[in-house]
Formats: sequence, structure tokens, C-alpha cells
Amino acid sequence: MSPSVFNFVDAKDKFTASAIHALAAKNGKQLVNAFNQIPGNETEKKTTLDQALRGVLGDQIVEQKASCDEYLSLIYLSIDAVTEGICSATTPFLLLGDVLDCLPLDQCDKIFSFVEENVSTWKSNSFYTAGKNYLLRMCNDLLRRLSKSQNTVFCGRIQLFLARLFPLSEKSGLNLQSQFNLDNITVFNKNEQESTLGQKHTEEKEEGMEVEEGEMGEDDAPAPCSIPIDYNLYRKFWTLQDYFRNPVQCYDKFSWMTFLKYSDETLAVFKSYKLDDMQASKRKLEELRATGGEHVYFAKFLTSEKLMDLQLSDSNFRRHILLQYLILFQYLKGQVKFKSSNSVLNDDQTTWIEETTKLVYQLLREIPPDGDKFATMVEHILNTEDNWNSWKNEGCPSFVKERTVDDKPKRPTRKRQAPEDFLGKGPDRKLFMGNDELTRLWNLNQDNMEACKSDSREFMPSLDEFFAEAIEQADPANMVEDEYKVVRNPNYGWRALRLLSRRSPHFFQPTNQKFKSLADYLDSMVSKLAKELPKDIPSEEIKTGEEDDDDNGDNLLKDSNDSPSIQSKMVTNQQMDDMAAKLGAQWKTLASHLEMKAAELREIETDSEDVDMQAKLLLVAWQDREGTQATVDNLVTALNAAGFSQIADSLSEA
Amino acid sequence: MGPVELLHMSVFSQSFSPCGRFLAAGNNYGEIALFSLSAALSPDATAQSQKPVLTFTAHEGPVFSLLSTDCHLLSAGNGEISAWSWTELIKKNVKPLWTKRPNYKSSLEIPEINSMVMNPRDNSLIVGGGDNNVHVLDLERGVFKLVLQGHSDYVHCVSVREREAEILSGGEDGAVRIWDSRTGQSVHCIEVYKYESCARPQYGKWISCLTTDSDWMLCGGGPSMSLWHLRSLSPTSVFPLTGCQRQAAFHQDMILAVGEGPFLSHCLLGGEVKAQIPCTPQSLNTLQLNTNSTEHRVLTAGGSSDHIDVFTNLSYRAFSLRF
Repeated sequence: MSPSVFNFVDAKDKFTASAIHALAAKNGKQLVNAFNQIPGNETEKKTTLDQALRGVLGDQIVEQKASCDEYLSLIYLSIDAVTEGICSATTPFLLLGDVLDCLPLDQCDKIFSFVEENVSTWKSNSFYTAGKNYLLRMCNDLLRRLSKSQNTVFCGRIQLFLARLFPLSEKSGLNLQSQFNLDNITVFNKNEQESTLGQKHTEEKEEGMEVEEGEMGEDDAPAPCSIPIDYNLYRKFWTLQDYFRNPVQCYDKFSWMTFLKYSDETLAVFKSYKLDDMQASKRKLEELRATGGEHVYFAKFLTSEKLMDLQLSDSNFRRHILLQYLILFQYLKGQVKFKSSNSVLNDDQTTWIEETTKLVYQLLREIPPDGDKFATMVEHILNTEDNWNSWKNEGCPSFVKERTVDDKPKRPTRKRQAPEDFLGKGPDRKLFMGNDELTRLWNLNQDNMEACKSDSREFMPSLDEFFAEAIEQADPANMVEDEYKVVRNPNYGWRALRLLSRRSPHFFQPTNQKFKSLADYLDSMVSKLAKELPKDIPSEEIKTGEEDDDDNGDNLLKDSNDSPSIQSKMVTNQQMDDMAAKLGAQWKTLASHLEMKAAELREIETDSEDVDMQAKLLLVAWQDREGTQATVDNLVTALNAAGFSQIADSLSEA
Repeated sequence: MGPVELLHMSVFSQSFSPCGRFLAAGNNYGEIALFSLSAALSPDATAQSQKPVLTFTAHEGPVFSLLSTDCHLLSAGNGEISAWSWTELIKKNVKPLWTKRPNYKSSLEIPEINSMVMNPRDNSLIVGGGDNNVHVLDLERGVFKLVLQGHSDYVHCVSVREREAEILSGGEDGAVRIWDSRTGQSVHCIEVYKYESCARPQYGKWISCLTTDSDWMLCGGGPSMSLWHLRSLSPTSVFPLTGCQRQAAFHQDMILAVGEGPFLSHCLLGGEVKAQIPCTPQSLNTLQLNTNSTEHRVLTAGGSSDHIDVFTNLSYRAFSLRF
């Protein structure tokens, strides 16, 4: 089948119809379908769709029945179409331009809100290059239509939108040559007949927010000049505005002299006429804030002479004038590329400017409310302005940082070896540290930590060594009196505690006993330690008053702690049998050590004839009596006490 | 008048014409100068408009006091009071209408007249001068009807309380005396320097400025300027102004004061100094507010200079009239 010929009119009609359907359905799919169905070249189809959309919009506008929302939905449709790729990127902008040109200003407001909201769309790649010129033109047209004093907010919105849309270095938004608005001429009447006050009766009320002194404010405006007016100041004051309008004049000697004279007078008036935060003015300000709080903005100064007094007593007005001075001074002193070469200040002028700057800041600080804050803020802003000035002088370089290209491959830096890697690894394994002492030390042992761990550095004594003396003293056989016992020495006691905490598990075992003094505590510890001493030290009859209790306490704890020592195990039957066999007839000797009562002994004797059996009975009785205390340990102790050390040994070895 | 004389000139007194368009000022050379306010305040004023339209010698000694009635200008200098007609003066006719002298005890020395004030109730003129007495002149009959004696030193300033028909006088002896104008007896005597809050012994005890506003009185001089409540005869606020104040006035809810020091002080009734507006003369002697005309409602201040500062707005000096 041969490719169908593209029929423009046909295609346009089809697009128009599907666009209207798409609008009704609020869905762009229809349009896309229509696009794909119609035969023809991409470009041809795109341009036709553009035409179609514009036609639809035109019809809508002509009908004048459509509301802003309908226009906006059409524009949304076109944006979607661009995203789908069926429409050229300039179409939404053309549509916007058409709408804004044809609508009255109040509706343009709504359309513009739409534009503002979608600034991110406009900035995206597909739209930006195509649309930025259109947007710029559209905004400028709008600005031309709007009045700066009536629609200040709208103008501001447009400017802000442009600022967000374009990058900072966009030349169309910059005042590259630092030109001044020379048309901004301040008119003031030089003759009494030309007084402008009669017409501006209402504005006078807005301007005079603070009626201080009350002296002049009550008089009526229409009466011819009923208050004394200082014409001298009036004229000089408003003439200054001409210098602010065109600062280049200041470089001319004659104009500079006039400027100097007038400024000095005006600033002297400001200096002597100090404003204060009067109660009356505060109240009025609060009233003003309460009523809507719309900030009154004047695009131009009101220059009637009858307002002069009121203006002088208004702090905002003063701030305006003083700020104008500061801006002017900044320009005169600053380096601007586009200034002509004869625009330089001589020394006198520079000195005067510096002195006056100080005076201006001081006056600014004195103006209530928040004079200090205002002055610091102004100073800060003007300093920032210097940066912008130098940026402009450099030709407005872009602020986008370029990614720097890495040319040189990085050389791998050689890591320095750690000392332990190379010290001592040489052929003779001897280290030379350059200093005899160090060499000696290093060759003894390179590794500090290892050296510290060696045995010769173990300075803490063992329990045996330390407590040997105390144990010997604890032996009642030696009959050492309490007060001579080494445990009574506080120094010894302290060191004993420290050693116990390091070496002995007894230190950590809680006990119910309450020790009245450290010496008592140490006595008990010493007795415990004595028991644990190695067996080659004969320690007979080591009895201290608390021995039994200690035993019980220890056993209890040992049982509950489940310590792995053999001594704390319960005596088994087998063991008892063995022991009984070994004991034989000597079981009575053991009985006394086991603290068996005579009654029990007789009982045992009557119970059985066999001595082995009696021994066994003894042990059983003992076990019954002791219960959980019937441990091997205790039995061993008793056996040793009774003189049956071999049996004790065999028991403990078992 | 050569430049040296101008340099040594002091303006001691001022008075506005009843129509409010002229200012009469008296200086230490005995001259009175008439300035046209309408010319000076007009939009096309020149330096010439700030010069007097008429200057004439009124007395032999300095013109310490000037006072305007409905149609007359009264001036007082060396012991005598002269009256001039305003209309004649405006027409530049400088013949005095009459000249009178109070009865001084001693005829050897003629005491000066420091201050004059009108009592509109009975159309009398109260005069205070160097003979320690206050004389009352009946303007209708032209005779001195009362002599108020009590001060022990010369009288600096006089003032009148209309409602209570009282005369107040302040003098070098530091006393402010309140007299009953009908009987001529001293009703009260306030010795300001005896009050610790006001006393400034380093300056002295003399009272050089006195003004009243129904129940309130301002007085100052050697002691600090203070606001007194006359019913209770006690000081309510003391103003911390350096220097001695020579003239003070009540204006709306503020107090304006001039004295030593090249500034006009604005003070609040509570006792704080709100502002001090710089003026040309190094020290000021006289302060006047033109209440006779709304168009020319200015404040003028003169002192130890040939310049008289004019304030259209109380807070800054607009321009100066020059002798």
C-alpha cells in the first residue's frame, strides 16, 4: 500500500475535534491516538497539531464564554502533548502568549499564577530553550501593561518569576553598564502658586502616620498656606533627589559643591531633629497594623511643601533618604567598569564622603524602632552589593561549577613500613637504635607488651608468701597476742585486701557475718587461706573461733556455686564403704572428731557387732546429721585431725 | 553698626506684634529692631528679608524687657517704661507714646527694670526691677498703684496667675514670692534653694526664670529648673539641665527652656529632657512663641549673638534673623 498523502485541512479538522474531546474528557489520550492514526510525516503532523490547538484556543477566546480554567486545561493539554512528543515545544508558550494578550488584567492574574506554579516545567530541558524567549517577551508585555504604583504586587511577581526562570548570568536580566533611570525626576514646586497639595488630600492622611508635636497637623490643606513653611529647607531637600537620580553629576565640581552644601544642611536638620518612639506614634502604628496591615507603597515621593514637617517626623521617610545617601556613596566610591575615566573622586571628596557615611550610619542607628538592627542590615546588604559589583565587572561569570577533569593519573604513594616490620629483621637480628641504652633495651625485647608480660615483672606476691606470717600468728599454738598480730596493722590490712581482691576467690564470696573491724575480717580470711595451703606445710590444729562457721559458710557457698573442686562433693556410699573398711575398730577416734555424741556412739555399738559396720554406721550417722554439709572436704579434715592422714589422702584422691 | 558691635550684641527681649506678622527684639545697646515675619517666611525670602525692617534706639540702657498689648509695644530699659504704637512702628514712625518711671526711693541710682508682665484682669502692668520691689502700674489711669515690697535683692522675673489674682516674682535673693494683687501682701514665699532636690549651691540661689500655668509653676536659675505645684507649694519634678535657665515656657504638654548653652531644651512634665535642639547663639536669653498668628506660628530664640533663631518646626532651626 502506498503511503497516504498528508491532507492538511483534513488533519487539522481531525486534530481540532479530538482536542475538544480531549478537553471534555480531561485526558490527552484521544489526541495521541488521533496523532498516531493520521498518516503523514512527523513534522507535518506536529505543525498541524500546533495550528489546531491555537485554533481551539482562539475559538474559546472569541466566544468569551470560557473561564480561565478552560484556557488552562487547554494549555495543560498542550504541555502533555509536548511530553508525548506529538506537538512542538513552542506551542504552550504561544498559547500562553495568546491568552495573556487577549484577557483583561484580573484574569491575567490567574493565568500568571499558573505560569508561576509551573516554573519547574518551564525550566526542564525540553521546554527551556524553546520557550525562554517567548516567556521573556510575554512577561515584558505584561509589565508594560501594568502600572507600577497600582499593580505593584503583580509586577513584583512577574519580576520574581523571571528571576527564578533565568540563571543569574542571563544578560537580559542584568544592568550590565550600571545605568541609571534618568527619567525618575522628582518634581517639587519652586513657586508658591504651584502647590500640589490641594489634589492630594487623601494621600496626606496615609503618609502622616505619626502626627508628632501636633503643632502643624491640625490645619486644613485647602486653606492657603496656613502654616509656616521652611522653604529654604524644602527646596534644598528636594534638589538632592536630582543628585540621587543621576550620580554622575557629582563628579562635576560645581554640582558637587551644591550637593555638599545642601547635604550638610539636610543632615544637620536630621541630626538636631531627633525622632523618638513616642507613645502616640506607637499606638497609631498598632492601629494601622490592625486594619488590614497593607503596607502603603509610594513609587515616588510626595513633595508638597506642607508635608515637609510630617515627612521629617516620619522614621520610614528618613530611612529612605539616608539609604539613598549610602547607595550614592557606594556608587561614587566603587569600581565600575563602565564608568568613564574622569569619574574619579579627589581626596577632599573622599574624606567628606567618609565622614558623612559615619554620620549617616549614626543617624540610622538613632531612628526608632530597631535603629541598630536596621543599620547593621543595611551595612551587610551594601557589602554584599560590592560582591555583585565585582561580579558584573568580571563579565558575569556563571555560578555553575564545572567538574574539573583529572589529567594526571594518581601515583600510588608508597606506604611507609611499620617499625616492627623492619626492625630486627636484618641478617644478625640485632637492632641498632643509635643509642646504647635504647639498643640494649630493644635487644632485650622488642615488643613492649611482651616485655611487660614476662615473669620477672610480676611484682604482686602470692598469697602464701604474703600471708605466711599471718597464718603463723593465727595458730593459737604460737600464742601470739592479738595486738601484736600483723593483721592489726592497717597498712598490712590494706595491702592484704588488695592482694585478696586480686588473687583469692574468698574475697568475692558474700557472707552473712558482720565483721566489726578489718582485723577480724582478715583473721577469718587468713584461716580460710590456711586451710587451702599446700599440704606439705603441716598445719595441725588450726583452730580459730570462727572455724566451724567458716566451714559451714564455705561449704554452703561452694555447694551453691557449684565449684568444680573435688573437696566439695558429697561423700558417696562407695567412699564410705572404703573408709569404713580402712577405719575398722578405730572408728571411735574419728567419731570424736566428727563431734558425735556419746549417746549416738552407744547406739551405734548396740546396733552392730561388726566394726566395719559400726564404722559405716558412724559415717552414715554423720552424713545424716550433716546433710548437705557431709562433704568429702569435711571428712578429710576430720580424718586428718584424727590422725588418719592416709585415709584422708586416699579419699581426696578418689 | 560695625562688626565689632555686632559681635558683642546680646538680645535680651522679644515680642510679637498683635497681628503676629512682626517681631520686635531689644538688644543690649538699647535698640529695638522690627523684623517682618511674613517676608522672612515667604517662599521667595532672601537674605535681606532676614534683616530688620526698622531699627531704632529706644532707651539709653539695654532693653531688658518687651511686652505687647493689643495695640502697644511696651519696652523697659534703664528704669523707665516706654510705650509705642504698633501701627505707628509698622509705618516706621518711632515716636513713643509715653514714658513713665516707677517711684524709686533713691534718685541717685536708677535701677533697671528686668521684667514686665500684663495683668489683663484689671489692665495693669506689673514691673519688677532693680530696687527689690515689684511695681504695679494701672494702664487705664497711668499711675503706679501698688508697690510690693519683700524681696531683699533685685527682682529678675515676674509672672501673674490670673484666676487667683496673684502675682509671682522671683529674685536674686533666691525667693519666689506670691503676692495677692488686690491687697499687695505677700501670700507665700518659697525659697527654692532651700529644697535639696533643686538646690545647686555651686551656681547660687537666684531665680532668673519664672512662668506659671494655672496650678503649676516653673522656676529656675541658680537652682535647677523645677516644676512646682502651687497648691501644695512643693516641687514635683526637677529637670536635669546643665547651666542656668533664663526663660521657660509651657507649650502643650512640653516645657521649652533656654539658658546657658547653645540649645533649646524640650522637657517633659515628668522631668526628663526629651531633646536639645542646637541654636546659633552660644547662650540664650529669650524665648518667644508666636501665638498671635497661625501662618507665622514660629518659635524665636535670642541670646548672646546678633542672630535670632527662628524655628518653624520645634525640632530644628529653620533660619536666623539678623540685626
